[in-house]
Amino acid sequence: MSVGEEKAKNRRGLSGWLNPYHYNLERWAYVFQRVTGLGILAYVVGHLGDTSFFVGGPTGTGPSSSTWAFMSNLVENSFGHLILVLVVLILVFHGTNGIRLIVSELGLVLGKPGAIEYPYKAKSLGAVQKAAIGLAIALALVAMVWTYLILFGGTI
Amino acid sequence: MRESRLMLIQYTTAVLAVALVAVHLLMQGIITPYSTAISFSTILSIYRSWFYAIFLEALLVVVLVHGFNGLRIILHEWKQTAPWSRWTDIGTLVAIVATVAYGTRTVILAIFGGVSG
Repeated sequence: MSVGEEKAKNRRGLSGWLNPYHYNLERWAYVFQRVTGLGILAYVVGHLGDTSFFVGGPTGTGPSSSTWAFMSNLVENSFGHLILVLVVLILVFHGTNGIRLIVSELGLVLGKPGAIEYPYKAKSLGAVQKAAIGLAIALALVAMVWTYLILFGGTI
Repeated sequence: MRESRLMLIQYTTAVLAVALVAVHLLMQGIITPYSTAISFSTILSIYRSWFYAIFLEALLVVVLVHGFNGLRIILHEWKQTAPWSRWTDIGTLVAIVATVAYGTRTVILAIFGGVSG
């Protein structure tokens, strides 16, 4: 098999990236970090658009209460609030898991290197890593519920 | 720019974004009630306070640099050819400049523009 054929055989592209078969927790966290990142970027770009209506939209010249009221009517409803709840969920997960990744990049929670032995469990995925991923999920869920209570409960 | 330096920028903006976004979220419903936080008069007073205007501009730059550089990293992981890397680098730079410019325009107009009904 030539180098090119070998390369083509191993290159699974997006389907390989998203295929969850044989994934461990760390690999799931890797995929969610990227998926949530893309979701947040899409929201931020949209948010730039909606906040620009505070100054009259793309052709505005200064703060305008009428264009802001127009945009508020468009996004301040149950569907818009549901989107915000989901944004907070993925935002808090992305932020907390991102801090874990930075700490790991500094080599602080990876554990000591050791010989590769059966059953070939990832040395880097120790108790601290698992706890950090669990914390990211827990904080994201708490933030999501809190946001839901603020937007739909109206009492907090 | 070297890839190692771009990753350093990615991590630095990540840490800054966590702090800035946390404050932004606290201001949108916890420190200030949500209905008050999104009212025209509250937003106007926030933009016209130098401290918060600089805060919002910093948030804008940090989040967009982190977000588009993150997208560039994903695109580089997805496909590795020299033309692809070059064009994704150029596209990332264009996207950052365009979105930061549009967001900065909102901040500047909110501070200096005349208020209308």
